[in-house]
Amino acid sequence: MPEPCGRTFDEALLSGYVDRALVQREGQRVRLHLESCAACRATVEDLRAMREAAMSSTFETPRDEEWSETPHTEAGRLLVGLGWPLVTAWAVLVGGYALWGSWQETDNLLERLMLLGGVTGFAMLFVGVLLDRLKAAKTDHYREVHR
Amino acid sequence: MVDSPAPPLVAGDAGSERHLIDRAKAGEPAACDALARRCRRGAYLLALQMLGNRDDAMDVTQDAMLRFFSTLNSFDAARRVQPWLFTIVRNQVRDLWRQRQRRPADAVGESDVLVGQLVAPQPSPEADLHRQELRRRIWRALATLTADKREIIVLRDYHDLSYSDIAEVLGIPVGTVMSRLHGARRRLRARIEEEGGRHA
Repeated sequence: MPEPCGRTFDEALLSGYVDRALVQREGQRVRLHLESCAACRATVEDLRAMREAAMSSTFETPRDEEWSETPHTEAGRLLVGLGWPLVTAWAVLVGGYALWGSWQETDNLLERLMLLGGVTGFAMLFVGVLLDRLKAAKTDHYREVHR
Repeated sequence: MVDSPAPPLVAGDAGSERHLIDRAKAGEPAACDALARRCRRGAYLLALQMLGNRDDAMDVTQDAMLRFFSTLNSFDAARRVQPWLFTIVRNQVRDLWRQRQRRPADAVGESDVLVGQLVAPQPSPEADLHRQELRRRIWRALATLTADKREIIVLRDYHDLSYSDIAEVLGIPVGTVMSRLHGARRRLRARIEEEGGRHA
């Protein structure tokens, strides 16, 4: 049934016309109607202006530094996962060997106390950080996203 | 940082997009980084335009990127990345709304906050200022639409997705896109006119 303005097609075709999404026959039909209908012409012009304004809108986006994590692949995750225990084991063995050597080389009580104090302090810091990390890992939504 | 509107998700043709995906799947770090950088930007803008809130948009983008990379190996390289990524973002946005029992239409009072996300106009001729004012009015009016109307306008008019890509993201038949889009645009136009009347 024709509309009051004489349009005989679905009004949604006006959007399709603006988006150039119509087949040739439909486009021709809309074009012919627009030549004689000021109301539909105004609608098309408004839709076009809205679309052009939206398309040319610019938005602030976060700087790269603001994204704290960058996802990696499974392979990368696996390598990093294996690498850290290896490096830790190496550090413990080498450090332990050096400390044991130093302990054996001296009979001085003060030097031994200094060694013991340093190792104990380092161990306490390490355990403290480890506990924090373990607790965070349970609640961190992004734990699978690596830096 | 200011971004220009709607550049392609992955620069170049479909072949180069597929090549980048293949390299990322093979675990090449440079390809992963390039893909993450490019996808993240489009995902963030979509989330921002759906949610209107920078912090929420960043959270949704992080979650969407996590899902994107965790499913990369099962992604069919013959498909295009953008509709797939946008589907993930859209689902994350809807999950967030569901958690908060909130829709964009409830955020009317925050429309001034939304407008703050638009980049301020540079000194320019009168025609440009008029267009910038229209951008603000559209953005403000968009915040008052329902989720269904808002998302289809965002996908078409802000991200320039084709009707078939929109159908894929929204999970609706291609034939439905035009009528739904037109209904949303009519509503948006009416809201802009109402707002114009209030400010006159």
